[in-house]
Amino acid sequence: MKPAPFGYERPRDLQAALAVLAEADASVKIIAGGQSLGPMLNLRLVEPELLIDIAGLAELKQVERQGDELVLGACVTHADIEDGRIPDVTRGAMQGVAGNIAYRAVRNRGTIGGSLSHADPAADWVSALSALGAKLTLRSLAGSRIVAMEDFIVGALESALRAGEIVKTVHVPAMPASAHWGYVKSCRKTGEFAHAIGAVMIDPSAATARIVIGAIDSAPIVMTDAAELFGGRVAGDYKDRFDSRVAEAILARAGVSDAAHRHIHVNVLKRAVREAAA
Amino acid sequence: MRNERDFPSADGAGAGQGVGARLPRKEDDRLMRGRGQFVADIRLAGMQDVAFVRSPLAHARIRAIEVPERYRASVFTAADLAGVRPIRAVSGLPGFKISEQPVLATGKVRQVGELVAMCVAPTRAEAEDIAATVTLDLEELPAVHDMRKAREPGSALVHEEWGDNVFLETNFEVDISRAFDAPIKVSREISTARQCMSPLEGRGVVATFDHRLDQLTLYSAAQMPHITRSGLSECLGMEQGRIRVVSPDVGGGFGHKGILLPEEVCLSWLTMRRGHPVRWTEDRREHLTASSNCREHHYRITVYADRDGRLRGIDCEATVDSGAYSSYPFSACLEAAQVASILPGPYLMPAYRCRTFSVATNKCPILPYRGVARTGVCFALELILDLVAAEAGLEPGEVRLRNLVRPEQMPFDNITKKHFDSGDYPEAMRRALASIDIGGVRARQRKGEIDGRRIGVGVSIYCEQAAHGTSVYSGWGIPMVPGHEQASARLTPDGGLELRVGVHSHGQGMETTLAQVAHEMLGVDVAKVRLILGDTAMTPYSTGTWGSRSMVMAGGAVATACRELGERARHIGAKLLQHDPAVVVLQDGAVRGFNGSVTLKEIAHTWYRRPQDLPTGVDPGGLEVTSGYKPQRDSGTFSYAAHAAVVAVDPDLGEVEILDYVIVEDGGVLVNPMVVDGQIYGGLAQGIGTALYEEMPFDAAGQPLATTLADYLLPGPTEVPAPRLDHMETPSPYTQFGVKGIGEGGAIAPPAAIANAVNDALRPLGVELMQSPITPYRVVEAILARSDAERPVA
Amino acid sequence: MSMIELTVNQRAVQAVAEPRTNLADFVRDKLDLTGTHLGCEHGVCGACTVLLDGVPARSCITYAVACEGAEVTTIEGLDEDAVTSELRAAFTREHALQCGYCTPGMLVSARDLVLRLPEADERAIRVGLSGNLCRCTGYVGIVRAVQSVIEARRARDIAPEPGGERKILGPVGSGRTVRTGADKAERISPASSKQASTEALSSVDAFPDFTPAAVLTQQFSVAHSPEQVFAMFGDIAAVASCLPGASLTAPPNPERVEGAIRVRLGPIAATFSGLARVERNAADMSGRIVGIGNDQRSRSSTQGEIRYRLVPIEQGAATRVDLSIGYTLTGMLAQVGRPGLVRDLAARLIAEFAANLDRRLSGTSPAAPADLSGMSLVSGLLRARITRWFTRFSSRKDGAA
Repeated sequence: MKPAPFGYERPRDLQAALAVLAEADASVKIIAGGQSLGPMLNLRLVEPELLIDIAGLAELKQVERQGDELVLGACVTHADIEDGRIPDVTRGAMQGVAGNIAYRAVRNRGTIGGSLSHADPAADWVSALSALGAKLTLRSLAGSRIVAMEDFIVGALESALRAGEIVKTVHVPAMPASAHWGYVKSCRKTGEFAHAIGAVMIDPSAATARIVIGAIDSAPIVMTDAAELFGGRVAGDYKDRFDSRVAEAILARAGVSDAAHRHIHVNVLKRAVREAAA
Repeated sequence: MRNERDFPSADGAGAGQGVGARLPRKEDDRLMRGRGQFVADIRLAGMQDVAFVRSPLAHARIRAIEVPERYRASVFTAADLAGVRPIRAVSGLPGFKISEQPVLATGKVRQVGELVAMCVAPTRAEAEDIAATVTLDLEELPAVHDMRKAREPGSALVHEEWGDNVFLETNFEVDISRAFDAPIKVSREISTARQCMSPLEGRGVVATFDHRLDQLTLYSAAQMPHITRSGLSECLGMEQGRIRVVSPDVGGGFGHKGILLPEEVCLSWLTMRRGHPVRWTEDRREHLTASSNCREHHYRITVYADRDGRLRGIDCEATVDSGAYSSYPFSACLEAAQVASILPGPYLMPAYRCRTFSVATNKCPILPYRGVARTGVCFALELILDLVAAEAGLEPGEVRLRNLVRPEQMPFDNITKKHFDSGDYPEAMRRALASIDIGGVRARQRKGEIDGRRIGVGVSIYCEQAAHGTSVYSGWGIPMVPGHEQASARLTPDGGLELRVGVHSHGQGMETTLAQVAHEMLGVDVAKVRLILGDTAMTPYSTGTWGSRSMVMAGGAVATACRELGERARHIGAKLLQHDPAVVVLQDGAVRGFNGSVTLKEIAHTWYRRPQDLPTGVDPGGLEVTSGYKPQRDSGTFSYAAHAAVVAVDPDLGEVEILDYVIVEDGGVLVNPMVVDGQIYGGLAQGIGTALYEEMPFDAAGQPLATTLADYLLPGPTEVPAPRLDHMETPSPYTQFGVKGIGEGGAIAPPAAIANAVNDALRPLGVELMQSPITPYRVVEAILARSDAERPVA
Repeated sequence: MSMIELTVNQRAVQAVAEPRTNLADFVRDKLDLTGTHLGCEHGVCGACTVLLDGVPARSCITYAVACEGAEVTTIEGLDEDAVTSELRAAFTREHALQCGYCTPGMLVSARDLVLRLPEADERAIRVGLSGNLCRCTGYVGIVRAVQSVIEARRARDIAPEPGGERKILGPVGSGRTVRTGADKAERISPASSKQASTEALSSVDAFPDFTPAAVLTQQFSVAHSPEQVFAMFGDIAAVASCLPGASLTAPPNPERVEGAIRVRLGPIAATFSGLARVERNAADMSGRIVGIGNDQRSRSSTQGEIRYRLVPIEQGAATRVDLSIGYTLTGMLAQVGRPGLVRDLAARLIAEFAANLDRRLSGTSPAAPADLSGMSLVSGLLRARITRWFTRFSSRKDGAA
C-alpha cells in the first residue's frame, strides 16, 4: 500500500518547526527517521495532512555532557549510539540496547526521540531509559518542560506530549560505578518487537534499584524504588533475594491477566536481575 | 547406479557440466545485478495501476457499493463485468459441492479481502486514493471461522445453497476392525496452523492487448502459465489462441503462484475495456489477508500397535479448512483427499481408516503449499508414533525402523495403493540416528543443563510422491490432468541450443539444470544453451511447475527431444563424414567417425547456411525437434528423507532453540547436487517456520490478525540453523536418468522432527504440544497447565 | 509534487515526485532502476535495502523528499564495486540465491557487514543479516558466502570499519539539502483534497445481537441513591458527555441515539459513526446501551455495549455502579492494531468513562469531552484514581500469542 497524500515541510530550525506545529491542526505529524511512522503511513493507518521533517535540524543532533548527565538530541540515531559516535555515561548500557533494536538498516535512520514519541510499549528505549532514570526535555513554542521517563509514557502509543510539543533532548544520568545493569528482552526472532522486557539498574552500595517491566500492553511498570522485589531491602545479595511472587503480583495488579504472559515477564525480569549481578 | 542406456555421453568429455555436476547457475548474474525482470519491473507505454476495494468483513451481504460521481469512469464492480464468468474449479470426486468464485463479489462477500471493486489510475497511490472513496454498505453475517464448528448443524453457511459447509467428505477403509484388539492404542487431536506461503515477491499482473495479433497478453508471476491461459479462456469466453500468458522472473512460488487469480481475470477484462495496459502488484498486506492460505489441518487420530511397537493400524478423522472458494485448477478438495491417500506414510500398515472433510469457511481459499498435505500428515503421524514409542518403551527411532517399508520389498504397493518406486527407508533413518548421536543426547539429558533448559531429540521420516501424472490425476477430475510433458530443442545456425519448455522456474535454477540435461545428451556447452520458459506463445503446453515434477518431467522431455535432435545431427554428420550412420557416434558436441569428426556447429551451419552440401535423403525435420516424455510408470517418484533435530527448550520463557539438525535425503539421481541442497535448505527454513513461527490467526468475526511481517513471522538467518545433509542416491527405475522430484521435501518433515524434539524435552514434565506452531506462549501455557493440574486441590 | 534533487549511483538526478513517494518507488518509477525490490513496504523484509549516504537504509519507509541532497546507491550502482563483486562471486559459488528477489537488498546488507565486522563470526553474520528475509535458500549459502568474503578480506589485511563510513550524527540521508536557499521552508500541499467526509452508517434497522470479543469491567461507588443514578443513566445526552470522544449527531430519543465516537490509538485516529439503542430495566436497576458504528476511512466497524447494574449500598443511600464494556472490532483496525494495545485503549476508555460518571454524579462536570486519547487529558488527581482502578480490570483473555 502507498500512503494517502500528505504535505511535507522541512523547517530551517527548531523554532520554525515549532511554529508550524503550533499553527497546524491535529492532522500534522512530526517525522524524523520515519521508521515507526513510515509503516503506518504506508498502511494508511495514519493520514496526516502535513509531515514536518525534523531529521535535518542540527539542534536535535547535538550531544553534550552537562555535569553528571549526557544530553542527547532527539534525532540521534540508534546506530549513532551503537557505533559509539556519541560519548557514553552508562558504562556501555545504552550501546548494548541500541545494537539490538530492530535491524541495522532501521537503526541507521531510526532516532531515539522518535522511538520515545511513538511510545510503543514494546520499544527498547521506553523501558531502558526508564530504568536508567532518564528525563526528557519537551519543547513547544510556549517553552520547555522536563519530564521523567516514568511519567512520559502513559499508555499504549500514548505519551505525555501535548499538542504543539516535541521531544527535544534526552537527559541520561551517568551510571554510578557501583551500579549494576541488566537488560533482557524476549523476542520470538531477532529484531522483532519484544514480548517481554526486563530492565534493571541496581546499586547495592546505595541500596537502590530501578526496575522496569516493559512490553506489557500498556505503559511499562516502572519501580523507582523496587526494594519490595527483594524482600524489602536492596543489598549485595539481591540476586538471591529476588522474589518472583512479588513480581507476579505486580503484573497481575497491572492488568496482565494471563498467567503465561506473567510467567514470561517474571522470568525475563529475573534474568535481567541475574545479568546485573553477573 | 544410473541407467547407462540413457547416457549417450555419460562420463565422457564435457563432464563437469552434465547430470551430477555442481554447476553454478546461469541465472545468478542478472539477479545479482538487479537486472532480473519481475512483473513489477515491466514498463509499457500508457500503463496504469490498479488497486482493489476489498471486503473488510469475512461474511456479509452487499447492500450497495457507492462510487463518487467523479470516479465513475475509474471504478468497476461486478455489475460492469458483463459476460465474465466466475472461477469454477470442480472436482469429479463423488459428492463434491461446487463453489463459484465471482472475480468481483456479487451478492455476498465470503472472506476478508475478497475483491469488490477495481480502481484504475496512473499510479498505485492514486488508485488507492480512489479506492478509499468507494463506500461499501455491507450487512454483516455471522462468520464461519472455525472449520470444526462449521460442520455442526446450525452453523452459518458460506454457500447457502449447499445446506452445509462441506465441500467434500471422503472415506477410506481397509480392515480397520482387525486393529482394534491391539495392546497399544493411542489417541490424540493434532493440528497445524493456517499459514501464508509468503514468497518475497507477491503475485503480480500486467495485462495488455495487442491488436495486430488480436491477442491479450497477460504477464503474471505464475507457476503454470498454460493453465492460467485455460482458466482465463474459460472465464473470459475467449479462444485460447487469443490469449498469451507470459511469466517472467518469478520471486518464489511455493504453490502460491499456482492458481488462477480473480485479479488476472479482472485485469484482462480491464485492459480490453480501457485500451491501455494495466498493472496490479500484490502487496504484503494483500498477500497476508486476502490471498491464498495453506496448511490448516485438524486430525483426530488413533494408532494401534503391538507391544513390540509394530503398527497394527491407524484410524483417523481429518478436517481441512478449505476456505471460501475452490481454487483453479487444484480445487478445494485436493488437500484433504490427499491426506487420506498418504497418511500411512512410508510404513507397513496392515489396517487403515480415514475420513476426511474439506470444509468451507469465511477465510481465504487454501492452496497446495510446498509439501501440500504431507507436512500436516507427517506432523500428525510422526507425533503420534512417538507416543507409541513411549508406550512400548522403545526409542522413537526404533519404532520407525520396525515399521518402515524395507528395501527388499521395493517397489512396494502400500495400503492406499501408492507405488513406492525404490529406496532404502530404514537406512535413511539409521544414518540420521547415527548422525544425530541419540546416545550422546540421552547422556546429556541425564546430566541436565546448567542453564536450566531441557534438551530433546526428535526424528521424523516421510516419503513423497512427486511428478505423479495421468494415472493419479485423472481420478481427481479437476480442471488439470498432466499427460506427456514436451520440450522443443533447436540447434541455432551458430551451433547454440535453444530449449523451450512449458514448466517455469521461480528459483529452482532450471535455466541451468535443464541445460545440464541437454549437455548430457548433446555435449553442447551449457553456456551455449538457452532456456525459454514461462511463455505460452513460445513453449509447448505444460501443466507447469508444481508437485516437484519439473526435473522429472521437463528434464525427461528435454532429454528426449535432445536425443532425437542428436540422432538427426548424427545422420547429417555421418553423411558429411561419408560414413554409415551406424558407425558414427555423437560425443562431446561432435559426430565422430573412424577418421574424423564434425562438430554440431558445423552440422548446424550446413543445415541452415549451406543446405546445398546436404546429401539427399536428409530428415526434412532438420535440427528442430519437439518431443514428449512420460516416465515408464506415471504413478510418481518417491523421494524420501529422515530428519533428526536436537532442541533446547527454555521452560521459563518458552523459547525453543535448534541445536543440531540432520537430514538424510534420497532424491534419486541428482542433476545438480548444489541446486538440490539449496532446495532442501530452503524447504527446511519453511518447515521451521511451520514448526515454530508462522501462523495466521483469525478472530471469531473471521478477521485475519497478522497483517504485516511484524505479526506474521518468517524465519530469518538466526532462526534457521545450517543443517547437516547426507545424500543417498537410489535411482528411480522409471524415470530418465533415475531422477526423482525433490523440490518440496525439505518442508515436510521439520515440523514433526522439531515438535517431537520439544515433546521429548518436556516429557519428564508431563507436557506435550500437539499443535503447530510451537510458540513460546504455547510452551509456557502447556507447562503451567500441567503444574496447575498437579497442584493438590485445596 | 515537488522537484527532488539527489545523487543516485553517483549521478545527479532531478525528478518531480509527491512527498508520499518512497525512495524505492522513486528510483524504480522515476529512474527505471528496478533492481530495488519491494517486499513488504513496512520495513521488515529488507528487499528494498539501498545505501543511503553510504550505509544501508530501508527505501520503502524512507520518503524520497526527505533525502534531498543525499547520496543513494542502488544495486545497479554496485556493478563495479569491489566488495560487491567479491560477494557476487561468493554468492554464486555458494548458491546463495534462488529466485533472486531478496538478493539486491541482501547484497547491500552483506556489503555493509563485510565492511564492518571484525571477523567472519557466523553468529554475528546471522544477526547482521537478520533484517533481510530470504524465503528460498534457508540462508545457508548466504551465510557461507559472506563468511568467505570476510575471511578473504581480513586475510588480505583489509581492516574492518566498525561504524561503516559514517562520521556525522542523525538519520542517514536527511539533512543534506544542498540547493541554495536550503533554509527556506518548503510547504507542499497534498495532491488531492481530502476525501468526502465520512458517511454516516446508512441504515441500521436491526441490531444483530453480538458476543463481544473483549469485555472490561469496572466498579465504583457514588453517594447517591440508586434511583438518582438510574435517572441519570436515562439521560442519554448526559451519559454520552461522559464518554470521551463521543458526540451526538441528532437529538436522541429514549431508545435510539445517533452519534459518533472519535478514538485515537497513538497516531491512528478513527471516528466511528453510527447508532445506539438504549435498553433499561427499572426492576433491577440495570441497563444496556448497544451501538454499532463505522469508520469509513479505515473501513473498520465496531459493535459495542455498555452494561450497567446499580446495587444499593449503605442502606440505599449510596450506589455501587457495576459497569462492563464489551466490544468487537472488524476491518483494517482490527487486523492491523495489535489486540493488546486496543485493549489498553479500551481500558483507558472505561476508566475515563467511569471517572466522568462519578464526577457528574458527584456534581462536578466531566472533563472536557475530547478524543479518547488516554490519560494525558486527565488531571493528575484523576489519574491516580484511574491507576488504582486499573487493578480491577480484567479482559476475558490477554490473547494468545
